[in-house]
Amino acid sequence: MTTEVTPSPSSASTEAGRALDDVVVLDLTRDFWSGVGAALLADFGAQVIRIETTGSRDREADGRGGGPRAGARDHLSDLAHRNKLSLDLATETATGRQILDRMIEKATVLVIDGTPGEIEALGFPEAELQERRPGLIVARGTGFGPLGPDRDFPPLDELAAARTGMMPLLPQPGQPPIYSGAGEMYSALMLAFGVTLALHHRDETGEGQIVDASLLAGNMYGASLDLQAFLAIGGEQLLHPMDLMDTGNPMSGTMYAAEDGRWVTLTMPDTDRWWPEFSEVMGIDPVDPRFDTHAKRCEQNGDVLIDCLQDRFRQQPADHWRRIFDEKKLSADIVEEFTYPANDPQALRNQYILDLDDSDRGRHQSLGFPIVMSESPARLDRSAPTIGQDSVRVLNDLLGLSKQEIQQLVADGYVS
Amino acid sequence: MTGLLEGIRVIDLTVWFQGPVAAQHLADFGAEVIKVERPKGGDQGRGVISVKTMPMGDWNQYFLVINRNKKSIALDLKTERGREIMYRLVEESDVFLSNLSPEALDDWGLDYAKLARINPRIVYATNTGYGPQGEVSKPSFDMTVQALTGLMARLGEPEQPPVYLGVGSGDAYGGMMSALGILLALRRRRTTGRGQKLDASLYGAQLFLAARMFQGFLATRDDHYSKQRSRRDALNPLWNVFPTQDGWVSLCVENTDEGWRALCKTLGEASPEQDTRFATPASRRSHGPELVDHIDEVLRSRPTSDWMERWNECTIPASPVRTFAQLAVDPQAWENDYLVETHCEAVDRTVEVRGLPVRLSRTPGSVRSLGPELGQHTELILTELLGYSWEEVADLKASGAIP
Repeated sequence: MTTEVTPSPSSASTEAGRALDDVVVLDLTRDFWSGVGAALLADFGAQVIRIETTGSRDREADGRGGGPRAGARDHLSDLAHRNKLSLDLATETATGRQILDRMIEKATVLVIDGTPGEIEALGFPEAELQERRPGLIVARGTGFGPLGPDRDFPPLDELAAARTGMMPLLPQPGQPPIYSGAGEMYSALMLAFGVTLALHHRDETGEGQIVDASLLAGNMYGASLDLQAFLAIGGEQLLHPMDLMDTGNPMSGTMYAAEDGRWVTLTMPDTDRWWPEFSEVMGIDPVDPRFDTHAKRCEQNGDVLIDCLQDRFRQQPADHWRRIFDEKKLSADIVEEFTYPANDPQALRNQYILDLDDSDRGRHQSLGFPIVMSESPARLDRSAPTIGQDSVRVLNDLLGLSKQEIQQLVADGYVS
Repeated sequence: MTGLLEGIRVIDLTVWFQGPVAAQHLADFGAEVIKVERPKGGDQGRGVISVKTMPMGDWNQYFLVINRNKKSIALDLKTERGREIMYRLVEESDVFLSNLSPEALDDWGLDYAKLARINPRIVYATNTGYGPQGEVSKPSFDMTVQALTGLMARLGEPEQPPVYLGVGSGDAYGGMMSALGILLALRRRRTTGRGQKLDASLYGAQLFLAARMFQGFLATRDDHYSKQRSRRDALNPLWNVFPTQDGWVSLCVENTDEGWRALCKTLGEASPEQDTRFATPASRRSHGPELVDHIDEVLRSRPTSDWMERWNECTIPASPVRTFAQLAVDPQAWENDYLVETHCEAVDRTVEVRGLPVRLSRTPGSVRSLGPELGQHTELILTELLGYSWEEVADLKASGAIP
């Protein structure tokens, strides 16, 4: 069962009003990313009502095999559906559909996902929606956008990522292309951004509209600078993997193995600025004539410098290097695993990660809020609901149905 | 066409990528974005001359694309009169956005307390490296921050070096976070009449970028979420990338008996359907490496196009792993305006740029111009928006506040 969550002590202004307090969102999504898009709206105050249909439950059986292990909680739903209410409704029946239509009358935003064809087939043809409720914002999360020959391709992030051109660039030469999983998170954010834009227009004019975010667009924006460079100048270098050290600057975008096998990464593109201190901590003479200009460090003697740095970094463990980087405020750090941010006071202090405590789970952690606001901050009011947990409350609050009417709907199998 | 955010004025005191791209998203939808730059050299992004060891060519796409649809004013904020102009701008604006360090902003008298006294309605947005709270003040570049998130360490095959998601990948995400935060603060202002301070940091945004795996790790502390994992050991061996004769494909087959049989039918004579090691979902999982090796061998016998034809026929979800060269001519990207053409004044020709990632049916965004020249609109803004006389402008020039 969902429990009201005790916020961590650092969460101030618990009762502050939020930007979307007056917004009612119906969430008909089935996928993780679009669910997260709607959750971002809930974090900032929108009342997001998840309509659980048979379809939504089917999709949660994740084909990736990356979902919860047997008996474990569904961690993805914990994030994607936090702060939401859940209504279990048989929308495939005439009565269920009628209830949904009445809810749409009360809603500000409807969020739905799938292919454009699927969304139409679910009874949401574009023209009709706008005609019936001109003030409604309909946000669609698709795989490949509402237009184009492949608009009805399966909306899977792996397929969108494969289409973008970034996957072959990520590995080392000779290694398999890499799916990073980041693309769908760009898409989730775009969905929330698009809805918030549309709310601005609605506040001004009363008009709703259709907002489209897609996995393809998300993946393309994730690949932004590399893709833009290719569009402008082309070049084989942006079609195939590059060697780790082939950045043209041994001190920027490079990674070196430390003594304990962990990796150090450097971003000091303007080497003139950093060289005096950096060379010193690396035990290289700052006026070594092989490296005394930017051109020598990067071009003429770049390979020599790489060899030299590889050798030096290998002599001490990663923590040693971090201490030195921090001391000297160098633009360099250690490649960490998830354990690091999970224990990082900085991440907790800014509520990027939440320490939570609730009655059924005890102490645990969750991703928090990437935007910090002084007057109307995001907050976690309640953890993700179980399916249908709020059916009675939603039907009563939103549609004003009586207890008896709701009991009858439950008895007839339209609501669970 | 009227822009959705028409009437919203944004002061864009940002450099490099994350801050500028945040303001770009607002400018694309019609906000009036005024980029404030130092007179000497302007935004450092103007000086980018190469990308991945390649020269930039004849136009600086790094700078011009993320500063599109903006105006530029050149101001020397180190001078008192330069700051006075900035304060006048703050009086006339809705949003102040900066990714300069909090120390630099304090030094120039551009902290939130000061600007809110000048204009209580101002939305004050920053992009710090590691968050507005806490003591961390080390340099923050996209890759060094991404390194801390755990995202890089878990990608790629075991024993391979960590994987960076691409130039500016975290900046791009933090930028859009910032744009969302600004819209939320503007909406809240409708109710309260007051602005507020907000921050979208590179670290906070990039932690969210890893959500699918990181959320599981936070809940369980299970290494399975955080360590590199071979594709031969995928949780579902059939949901994977595979090599073909001439490239790679991304294949998404559910590990059910139905999914398995459908896939096997397309593999022809070498189909492993009768192999008892792969008879059930659980055995396919436990014999994952052998199964992946077997499928690798079969798929390597034919080109990608052959396999795609077979899979399309029986609606098995799959895609060739493409390159930018293929995306650049992909009608799907063009028809949805994810790529658009626009005129580039610097080279006086049409160029291809990243378009609009979010489509709005009534009030779509647009690319109206690429990034401005340094200080291109200085005089216009001073005289028309801020009401300075031409004599005063001459005087400001003489004082060095403007170039």
